[in-house]
Amino acid sequence: MAAYLSMGEAHWRITEYLNRFADAVSYQDGKSLGRLLTISSDSPVLLSLADALNTFQDSNRVIRQSDKYSQYEDILVPIFRALQSYCLKNLAESYIAFEKASNAFIQEFRNWDSAWALEALYVLTYEIRILAERADVELASMGKSPEKLKGAGSFLMKVFGVLAVKGPKRVGALYVTCQLFKTYFKLGTVHLCRSVIRSIETAKIFDFEEFPERDKVTYMYYTGRLEVYNENLQAADQKLSYALAHCHANKEENIRMILKFLIPVKLSIGIFPKAILLEKFHLDEYSDIVLALKRGDLHLLRQALQEHDDRFLRSGVYLVLEKLELQVYRRLVKKIYIIQKQKDPNKAHQIKLDVIVKALKWLQFNMDVDEVECIMSILIYRNLMKGYFAHKNKVVVLSKQDPFPKLSTRPVS
Amino acid sequence: MADRTRRRERPMKRAFFKPSASDSMRTHSSSGPEKPSNPSATRSNFDAEEGNEEFTPIFGTCLLMCPVKERERRERLRDLAIFERLNGDPAQSSPSLAVKKFCRTISRKDLDPSDVRPAPVLEDTLNHILKLLHSSDHSFETIHAFIFDRTRSIRQDLSMQNAVNDQVIDMYQRMVKFHIISSHYLHECSETSYAVSMIRLNQEQLIKSLITLFNLYDIVRATSSIRKDEPEFFSFFLLLQLGSDPHNTQEPLSLWLRRIPYQILKSREMQFARKLLRDYRTGNYKQFIRSAEEEASFLQYCIIEPYIDEVRVLALSCICYGGYKLQPYPLLHLSKLLIMKEDDVESLCNDCDIELTSGENGKGVLSSHKVVKKCPESSQKYYSMHSERIERLCSLALQLL
Repeated sequence: MAAYLSMGEAHWRITEYLNRFADAVSYQDGKSLGRLLTISSDSPVLLSLADALNTFQDSNRVIRQSDKYSQYEDILVPIFRALQSYCLKNLAESYIAFEKASNAFIQEFRNWDSAWALEALYVLTYEIRILAERADVELASMGKSPEKLKGAGSFLMKVFGVLAVKGPKRVGALYVTCQLFKTYFKLGTVHLCRSVIRSIETAKIFDFEEFPERDKVTYMYYTGRLEVYNENLQAADQKLSYALAHCHANKEENIRMILKFLIPVKLSIGIFPKAILLEKFHLDEYSDIVLALKRGDLHLLRQALQEHDDRFLRSGVYLVLEKLELQVYRRLVKKIYIIQKQKDPNKAHQIKLDVIVKALKWLQFNMDVDEVECIMSILIYRNLMKGYFAHKNKVVVLSKQDPFPKLSTRPVS
Repeated sequence: MADRTRRRERPMKRAFFKPSASDSMRTHSSSGPEKPSNPSATRSNFDAEEGNEEFTPIFGTCLLMCPVKERERRERLRDLAIFERLNGDPAQSSPSLAVKKFCRTISRKDLDPSDVRPAPVLEDTLNHILKLLHSSDHSFETIHAFIFDRTRSIRQDLSMQNAVNDQVIDMYQRMVKFHIISSHYLHECSETSYAVSMIRLNQEQLIKSLITLFNLYDIVRATSSIRKDEPEFFSFFLLLQLGSDPHNTQEPLSLWLRRIPYQILKSREMQFARKLLRDYRTGNYKQFIRSAEEEASFLQYCIIEPYIDEVRVLALSCICYGGYKLQPYPLLHLSKLLIMKEDDVESLCNDCDIELTSGENGKGVLSSHKVVKKCPESSQKYYSMHSERIERLCSLALQLL
């Protein structure tokens, strides 16, 4: 709590805020308006206002004193309550009040022409999500059911609806979409993203190119992640690559987040990240995996997956990485083929299964001849290798032309 | 039933709590900040199933397996299942035979606590109906139909009361096991039309019960450590994902795995399921079948069974596609690889329209480089595992309930 505040000073601070609010609206200054709503930011302006509200106690009367700001009573009264509750660490109360203020704000927003208030709206949607998250933590710790974030999700959908209209306001829809993504990802109700994605991608009023760059990058990042989870690797490649290409070079943390998901996708098509890239963005959990792929070392792959098991499972890329096994086997066979080619080019394409067994053993991986045959047959069946295998002779015979076709992200039947 | 009179003395409320709980209905409290939040596991909707969403929980007061009004009504209408009939009389039942039926449409205003059975009564009811599985007087289809419906009613009563404790969890675990075992037996009698339609419905209820069970685990986990049965039930769910299309599920497997407590992921049962899933997705048919045979518990085996045949067909596909044309793949070796009797391998090949040849070393599969698919008419029938261990597990099946 601040040092002693006189009633006069408190009153002054309150009216100062109210004037700023009203001025921001009349001058259509979205940015300034937004700054007055960032409750979770601990800005000095708002902290000092909170002190004033606690001292003065009857702020509602002040609001009603002048027509200039009493018209925004429905927004201001709950905003004050939200701010006070937040500073007193009553996060659930704060959220409830803030949601009330936000609803009132949306009503006004609908009536304002042009998109001047979008900046303020962005702040609002961000705050609602953050306050809800923190409120839920508080509720959970008290043994109560944490449903504020769920409520925030509903509110955000409402905001989306307000923006999904013809006119300049529609460019704000992508920002709100991203807030929705973050909300749904946190809640674990990821399937709810589907409907809003459909709106963005198919509704006639939206033109993707018109949205701000920053929002497009965030959008592609989240939708790219969804594609990774659904194992649509081709789509994942497109979206995450877009995000990477359009991401600002100095936003290193964002680049890192994109790479975390893009790397497994690229690995699936045999594209390896350079070691310096992994180093620069602190993604060394992938180094052993890349090494395993290059060497054809299954033991190393399994070990690397084991070592970072938790991390990969939490980010959701584990299953994609696990599937790289076939590529590791393929790589091993290819290496054997290359070595044999150097010794005797005419016989290189015939590889004894025993040789593969031996190579695997040398890489600390025990596999019997039957299993090697099984793996060879799968590689051939899935078009990762061309040729045939002869059970009786225990040999795999590679095609003389292009025995190792290029990998693609297209699904293999 | 002497037990029931004793229970009547206890105040209704207390019947639902673990001794350590506070004296109010159990609410969800979160796990630590490191774990991703799971607000779907709240008290108000732990039940994923019967759409009993917005009921305020009620306390059931019906102390019989079936409310008197319902029994009398069904006696009048002669709507009694064979197991409910007194001395075979289709119009006469008794309190010790009648079991409450599942009611598809329940509206909130019709809800009367005297129609709802509290948890201890439900446990007795469950015991009573599961015993029927051991009876040899009736066909499995008849028994299954009865238990299927009556367990659904038990779950309905439980969800209306939002009871969450060890007893309830135990009941759900038993009901999940019932559905798993049923799936195995339904496939054995897959020739009947009942079985064919029931297989899918049984699977649906299996998944619903399992999801509800997970919600219960979540709620209870806040105040107690992970139960020793939990890993096995999670492994069931993972194994159920074997056949699903990754592009087309409500929740992608990657996201589900994210939410599981690490301790469970590292358990033996889950490691086994994850290994199987990996081999399935890689197409390593040899390891898949071998691991299933060597390590699956009976219940896990029941779930894996359909996929074993699928993987066998994959093996045949690979052999047909990539095998050397001039050397038919010996059936004997195949039978060892796929852990099947030689005759069964031959039948499977016929099902898939695969050509066999006879040579001096026995029959073999001809590699013809064409696409192989199992013929749909025979797709419900499974070829058993030619394994002593599995046969032994199957014979001990009913003891699990």
